[in-house]
Amino acid sequence: MIDLSVHLAGLKLANPTMTCSGTCGYAFEYGDFMDLSQLGAFVTKSVTREERPGNPPARIVETRGGMLNAIGLANVGLKRFLDEKVPQLEKMPCPIVVNVAGHSYDDYVETVAAMNPIACVGSVELNVSCPNVKDGLTFGTNPGRLKELVHEVKKVLPAKPLMVKLSPNVDDVAVTARAAIEGGADVLTLVNTFTAMSIDIHRRRPRLANVTGGLSGPAIKPIAIHMVSRVYRQVAKAAGVPIVGMGGVQTWQDAAEFILAGASAVAIGTALFVDPAAPNKICEGLGEWVSKQGAEKLSDLVGTVQMPGD
Amino acid sequence: MNQRRGQFTGVVCANIPLCREHFKLVMEVRGFPPTKAGQFVQLLCRSTRDLDYVERELEWPSPQRPEVENVDLIAPTALLRRPFSLAGATTDGETATIEVIHRVVGVGTDWLVQLRTGDEVGILGPLGNTFSHPVENQIAILVGGGVGIPPMLYLASELVGKKVIAFCGATTRDLLSLTVTADARTPGIDSIEPLYNIQEFAAHGIPAVISTDDGSYGFRGFVTQSLQEYLDRFRIRGEMAVIYTCGPEVMMKRVADLARARQIPCQVAVERAMACGMGTCQSCCIRVKKPDASAVPLPGQDWCYRLACTDGPVFAGEELLW
Ligand SMILES: Cc1cc2nc3c(=O)[nH]c(=O)nc-3n(C[C@H](O)[C@H](O)[C@H](O)COP(=O)(O)OP(=O)(O)OC[C@H]3O[C@@H](n4cnc5c(N)ncnc54)[C@H](O)[C@@H]3O)c2cc1C
Ligand SMILES: Cc1cc2nc3c(=O)[nH]c(=O)nc-3n(C[C@H](O)[C@H](O)[C@H](O)COP(=O)(O)O)c2cc1C
Ligand code: FES
Repeated sequence: MIDLSVHLAGLKLANPTMTCSGTCGYAFEYGDFMDLSQLGAFVTKSVTREERPGNPPARIVETRGGMLNAIGLANVGLKRFLDEKVPQLEKMPCPIVVNVAGHSYDDYVETVAAMNPIACVGSVELNVSCPNVKDGLTFGTNPGRLKELVHEVKKVLPAKPLMVKLSPNVDDVAVTARAAIEGGADVLTLVNTFTAMSIDIHRRRPRLANVTGGLSGPAIKPIAIHMVSRVYRQVAKAAGVPIVGMGGVQTWQDAAEFILAGASAVAIGTALFVDPAAPNKICEGLGEWVSKQGAEKLSDLVGTVQMPGD
Repeated sequence: MNQRRGQFTGVVCANIPLCREHFKLVMEVRGFPPTKAGQFVQLLCRSTRDLDYVERELEWPSPQRPEVENVDLIAPTALLRRPFSLAGATTDGETATIEVIHRVVGVGTDWLVQLRTGDEVGILGPLGNTFSHPVENQIAILVGGGVGIPPMLYLASELVGKKVIAFCGATTRDLLSLTVTADARTPGIDSIEPLYNIQEFAAHGIPAVISTDDGSYGFRGFVTQSLQEYLDRFRIRGEMAVIYTCGPEVMMKRVADLARARQIPCQVAVERAMACGMGTCQSCCIRVKKPDASAVPLPGQDWCYRLACTDGPVFAGEELLW
């Protein structure tokens, strides 16, 4: 029997497959299409303090091997999340991670604090790829600001591990990773989407109403692998902070690559739109891969890529 | 009979050209649940083998190199699924036969065209809500334009024996995806007389008015013009009729306006770019009036977004702000 279980700073997953925030709704949306009980963990759509309608359409466009999205954090807001979604989440057959976004320190702190007492919430993931309303600067791209945010948030979440989802739109992701850990992050998740743009050459207009959007899907996988590998080797391994790798995972082969690069678990996003059962298949494939590698536990393979000079 | 939606593999029974760029794809799907007009499916417009990626697994060293089709690296293929309205469906025991009519506009539909009898297609569905049927004695007016015609065909099949009339439009005769019966009277260029000249509707006892923008067949002008003339000539107002429509957005807006001006209830099947098709990605939003408890208005606005995939695709014409 292969042991696929994962420990993410106190959050125990039966296997390393998670969903990506924003690609799987709030709870049972995929219930008819995948076996939710076989998920390592479920990650909700980003929740903000206030309900948000999101950006005008067109909000998505497909590009080669990927897609751009500019959803604009459309979500039900904290109050309705607590009233309508938490009762659903309580019935979910797998561990729950609530993704929280905000536009000020207070936004984050208030929303995260509300999650602390909820029993079914196993962990909170901070989406720090949002601009601060005060100055328009993104929380997740400035190490000082990120450290402070994580520090503030950590104080109101004493009961649960805190995941920080790193933005890839930075010079060196190891620097923001270090800042997040110094702030008190228990788990790092990476990567969020890459800022990108697509143009309709006939009408000479951006294809997204928002002009820019976040690139996700198989197109970003090699960059995400590099970032996971870099964060693992430069910071996370030494600090003992586990990584959840994401960005273009479609198959167990993709997941295995992330594990070798240093991820303890993987999250599947865009691929869910194509095949909602992908996490279940990936889980199965990983089991076989671990045994073919001659290992007993998946966790023994984390970060074991052989680099030149190792 | 399975009642749950899910992921299915369809086997192609036929993929028939209907007119320029339009094809009717008929698939047998084991275990596919019952469906209704208005619903749609998400088709994987590439090989279902892509989802398992067995072909990518190269086992070295192995005596024989497995066959590799490096589809993803060479050809641009449709990554996401593509939504298509159901144009019809029947069930026989455990097996459903479903139809979609697709127009070739890009990589995904171009892949669908290559399908031959016996080929497999990945299907996710059925998705979305349905049209509500007319009440007793209400005239059902079906208005379809271009690739909005397929859901009207499905609806027509559900309304056999009711008072129904169809208005269909295309830019030109070549692009009219309907079968004109050989022995039928040719409609005049300014005539809005409903005729039993379109096989798909006549088969259900439903007369049709066809318009083409260039007058190459039937009424010369937009389908909304023939509809307007008809509504005015027969003084159709209020609850005596119900209008169902699907097609290009400009057309649907105009149809909804015509209906609203006459207090005729109108059900509009909208189209939006979709990724998931089941309410997870929030990509398919459309503006509607009158925010209720389940949706937030923008600050200072009296509208909110709804999802075309789960709240729709069928919306009441009067609530849509597009
Ligand atoms: C609920 C719903 C039902 C639909 N039913 C049908 C149907 O019955 N028959 C049919 O032929 N088509 C239907 N469509 C449209 C169909 O989904 C698109 O034509 C298809 O996605 C195009 O895929 P592609 O890869 O061939 O084109 P792409 O390469 O993706 O795009 C080619 C061109 O088509 C445009 N396009 C792409 N997606 C859409 C869309 N969703 N709506 C309008 N234009 C689009 C693009 O802007 C581009 O100009 C429906 C769409 C929705 C949302
Ligand atoms: C439609 C869509 C919506 C998303 N919404 C969110 C979100 O609300 N919060 C968040 O942290 N990430 C969001 N993401 C980013 C994903 O969680 C993930 O980090 C990214 O898509 C990379 O993974 P993938 O390539 O497997 O999709 C969204 C992605 C997509 C495609
Ligand atoms: S298509 Fe994803 S929410 Fe409608």
